[in-house]
Amino acid sequence: MNTTMRLSILGLLFAALMGVLLLRLWTMQVTDAQAYEERSLQNQIRVVNTPAPRGDIRDAKGVLLAGTESALAAIVDLALVEDDEIMVLSHSLSAFLDESSADIMELLENPPPDLQVTVAESLTDYQATFLVEHREQFPGVNIIPQPVRVYPEGEVGAHVIGYIGRPDDEDLLRENVEGNSFVGKAGVERSYDDILLGTEGVISYRVDAKRKVLALDSEVAPTAGDSLILTIDSEAQRQFQESLQEGLEQARQLQMQERADALAQKSIPERLAEAREEAEEAAAQEAAAAAEALEDDAGDEGNESSATSPSVDDDDVAPAEPEEVEIDPAEVLASLYPGLPIDSNGVCEPIQRVTAPLGGDAVVSGVEPRFLRLESVAEGEDGELIATVSIGNVKEAVEVNDSFAGTLQVLAITEDSIIVYHRDAWCPVRAVGTLIDPNDGSVIAMGSYPAFDPTVFVDGLSDDQWAHLGTINAFQNFAIQGLYAPASTFKTVPYVLAMEESYYPVDRGLGDKELTDDSDDAEDAEPTILTSHTDEYSCSGEFKFELNDGTVQTKRDWKWPGGHGPLDLHGALQASCDLYFWDIALRLWEERSDDSGIDKENLLQEYAREFGFGTKTGIDLPFERDGLIPDRTWFTSEQAADSPRVRPDGPWVGGDLMDIAVGQGATLSTPLQLANAYAAMVNGGTLWEPYVVDQVVNADGEVVDDHAKTAIRKVEISPTTVRYLKEDLQQVVNNPERGTGTSAFATFGDNVELIGGKTGTGEVISARDAEDFEEVDNAWFVGVAPIDDPDYVIAVVVERGGSGGRVAAPIARQMLQYLINGPDAVTPLVPGQEAD
Amino acid sequence: MALDYSDSAPISIRHRDAPMRPDLVLVLSYIVLTAIGLLMIYSATAPGFEARGIDPTRELKEQAIFVVIGFVVFGVISAIDLTEIRGFVTPMYAISIGLLVLVFLVGDSGGGAQRWIDLGFLRFQPSEVAKITAILAIASLLASKEPPLKWMAVARTVMLVALPAGLIFLQPDLGTMLVLAFVGLVLLFTAGATARQLAFLGVAAIIVTVGVFQLNLIKEYQIDRLTAFADPGAHELTLSYNQVQSEIAIGSGGLVGKGLFEGTQTNLQFIPVQSSDFIFTAVGEQFGFIGAAVVIALFTLMIWRLLMISVNAGNRFAQLVTVGIAAMFVFHIFVNIGMTIRIMPVTGLPLPLMSSGGTSFVVMSAALGLAHSAWIRRPPLPGEMRRRT
Repeated sequence: MNTTMRLSILGLLFAALMGVLLLRLWTMQVTDAQAYEERSLQNQIRVVNTPAPRGDIRDAKGVLLAGTESALAAIVDLALVEDDEIMVLSHSLSAFLDESSADIMELLENPPPDLQVTVAESLTDYQATFLVEHREQFPGVNIIPQPVRVYPEGEVGAHVIGYIGRPDDEDLLRENVEGNSFVGKAGVERSYDDILLGTEGVISYRVDAKRKVLALDSEVAPTAGDSLILTIDSEAQRQFQESLQEGLEQARQLQMQERADALAQKSIPERLAEAREEAEEAAAQEAAAAAEALEDDAGDEGNESSATSPSVDDDDVAPAEPEEVEIDPAEVLASLYPGLPIDSNGVCEPIQRVTAPLGGDAVVSGVEPRFLRLESVAEGEDGELIATVSIGNVKEAVEVNDSFAGTLQVLAITEDSIIVYHRDAWCPVRAVGTLIDPNDGSVIAMGSYPAFDPTVFVDGLSDDQWAHLGTINAFQNFAIQGLYAPASTFKTVPYVLAMEESYYPVDRGLGDKELTDDSDDAEDAEPTILTSHTDEYSCSGEFKFELNDGTVQTKRDWKWPGGHGPLDLHGALQASCDLYFWDIALRLWEERSDDSGIDKENLLQEYAREFGFGTKTGIDLPFERDGLIPDRTWFTSEQAADSPRVRPDGPWVGGDLMDIAVGQGATLSTPLQLANAYAAMVNGGTLWEPYVVDQVVNADGEVVDDHAKTAIRKVEISPTTVRYLKEDLQQVVNNPERGTGTSAFATFGDNVELIGGKTGTGEVISARDAEDFEEVDNAWFVGVAPIDDPDYVIAVVVERGGSGGRVAAPIARQMLQYLINGPDAVTPLVPGQEAD
Repeated sequence: MALDYSDSAPISIRHRDAPMRPDLVLVLSYIVLTAIGLLMIYSATAPGFEARGIDPTRELKEQAIFVVIGFVVFGVISAIDLTEIRGFVTPMYAISIGLLVLVFLVGDSGGGAQRWIDLGFLRFQPSEVAKITAILAIASLLASKEPPLKWMAVARTVMLVALPAGLIFLQPDLGTMLVLAFVGLVLLFTAGATARQLAFLGVAAIIVTVGVFQLNLIKEYQIDRLTAFADPGAHELTLSYNQVQSEIAIGSGGLVGKGLFEGTQTNLQFIPVQSSDFIFTAVGEQFGFIGAAVVIALFTLMIWRLLMISVNAGNRFAQLVTVGIAAMFVFHIFVNIGMTIRIMPVTGLPLPLMSSGGTSFVVMSAALGLAHSAWIRRPPLPGEMRRRT
């Protein structure tokens, strides 16, 4: 192969390479030219979204609860800022806006895709003017009017209204939502977000490769969202929230009073006994010393010492009668535990922030106030600070987020202090309530205290304030998210069952008689099945019954010792006799497998579920919870899953069914569910789907959607049952002898005879490691008015509040006074008598 | 055609037999490509300068200075007999190696690599110069060897390539290193290497490549560039951004282009370093397929001329030098244009004569000057009139 041939081969190779280039260019520039053309056009367009004003939220009377105002925002367009200017810009903005330059720097360095960074959301006129006049010092900063959410009524209706915030990943998948939009996070702001949101405007610019704007391409103005008209009456709502707040504060005061009493009862005699022991010890030592001295040099001192000892005893024995000591609880508390962190009103806080300085003490209140001491702070291997604290005699090393000493949790550790949260297991946590119209299921008022002002989600709060509001769960709507054992308020369910099925308890004739080993008495007393709702039943304080294996189980009525005496079904509801309803459940259990063909084991649960228990009501608010009506199926599956909600072993038993009959055990209901069930019972059986949004109105004021009341189902319930139930509910409030709510309504004034209701006191399954103290109760009251043709059903629960008749009923009383007798008729909150 | 393989009696300028006429096709394609290059540099840079309030002809003017220098260099070298140049091959080669070493000592770095030496009034890239000296050194070595080549000659050629290539690789400048390897192979092939020798070199190249990767001698960004080329979607806004944008620019040019100064991608500066490595995108977008085809045709014409010069060269040294230059041009053209249309990875090789950049233009001019010198001193072709002396 000669050189010329080799060169020819090279020539062919080179030509082939050029051919490849031409071929590829042909496919790109001729075959696929269109696709590239489109991409080059897209390249030059930059899209900036302009937020749409959110729709308003108004109450039933048109009062603005959430609106949109225009505020001037400072927005940095990073497309107009050179990279080397960013640092200087962040410093100038920092100085001008009085914010940390690091924060601003972080915003500027992590811009959204459209390069628009909001550095200030609402400028004052002065600030805006200054920025405009000094453009050259603030390159790329634009002053742009932005819609800002306002909540003129503050906390009123906050839990129904909800709040807005920046979209999360899921929100961003929705149409119309951009990274810089605000979307509803809770309440109707969330459930009606698509309606409120409106459509964002779009401005597109022609840009170069560095995304610098060259010219305006097109502009589409934003469309405002539609407005909502709520069923809420903001004035009633305001009154309700005030009553809830006052009621909770009063419950806390009562709780502190009880504790002070308990401490005083316990501590003074104990201290006296201690003082006596100390004195005796000192005397004994002295005597011993004297004896020694006596041995050394016999003298008269022996007589002296024997003379002093009895005199010490005499002094100490005298006042050791606790009943006779006059107790001023606050004084006792203060003298025993100086520095106890109760506020000036003597009110407890369910969650306290306690700060202990290095080497110093902080008092952590509880049943027995304890001292938290920060001994030292060291740095751990991973750079975390580790604090050594002592509480009582126990020393512990803790890190941030650790829990210790049962009720304490570390919030923060610095080099010279520690901040902990102390959870007080007995302090009333919150008061929750809901008020609905039993004629259509519309919600007139709903809320809980502690509440929040939705404005904080727009204006922001300090980290500490956020942490505090978060820890006390101020943002949750407990009226639909709180699950509580409905306790005695649930007794209307077995009541309706008894009336509808003519199914009454067995009077076992046990009375208050003790079951003895030779249980002749028990055998003698022939159990008789009650056959009418007017048959009387021995409502004693204690209920003993035999289990299958022959063991005897005892359940005690809330009124023990004592009991209620003989009562028929009506009296049993009015007095809230546990035994009567337990016995219905026990009879259901005993007859569960008879030949009647009716499944009696689940009959009670079926009645409960008919009235909506155990299922979401379907209200148009987010995060509603189901509640629970337990049965054997549920119990078995929970047990199989090792759930802490049930016993680890053993079958579903009659006792479980008896618990349900009085709304205890695993039974759980939301306040709204309970109110809705009562609404169905008193309106003749229609279970409405509750709602808070009445109408949707567009920007032109036209109603685009009007809520039609929706029935979940019609429960078959006879008018007789309804009539008796209403009478009995009225008696709960009006019967001076046995009505559990009568005392709370003593100050109601006119028209108290129009009021019906039912109290409830639910045992809280408190933390297992909680210190030993009296049981903690949730206080319930469900009210109905006017009783003949009800327009209002109100449910109130005070978490850890204590007795329903004492704590919850007065809150409902104030609200019903407001509704029936008008705003001026509301009388101050007075605790009722302790009753179930 | 009587070709003299004996490497004897160089034909001196005094004894030439053919008329000393320039190769008009070569010179014209050289001038036209240069002119197109200047126009493209202006169209690619002016909007950016204008936007910043800078003289829009700034880069054009800078390049024009080098164009003038390049033309002078072309003319001067055309006038020198390659045989005389051959006498200085060894010192030239040594100096270029020295310069490559010097880059590491005093060089300026830019874009992750150390490539430039700053002379105060200008910065130049010794690696560009090394391309020419390597061609000259290899051609000189192989010109004195008879085909078929001995293994020893192959080995010495590899050494001559490996020394500058290794230094350039360390800068690191993968593209220029590959140019040297390609040129070396083409020269060995032309000089008469056997199929077995070429196959051996191929295998050795693979082993070296694998070894380099294994020893992590390649910088991460070089690997990234190569992988980005394979999967541009994954790097749309980062590594292969250039390639994606340049592809859009060229593709959107269509058949006849968007017109001069009407290229949106070009005017809006979507393509970084467009005036240097990505100058072909300016052609593709503004003049479409037709413009791109014209430029490739001009380059093809030029390469055809270089091969013809080689075929007709008066001696083996001139023949090999010209082939080496042709190979260098082809490799640059294919890799550079291939890069802009995403059939080759981004290697940073400029488009000869058109890319903005002084050293490259002057060196390419010098290379063409060498080839032109060979043409002028070729033996007479059949039918050519002998000159009377």
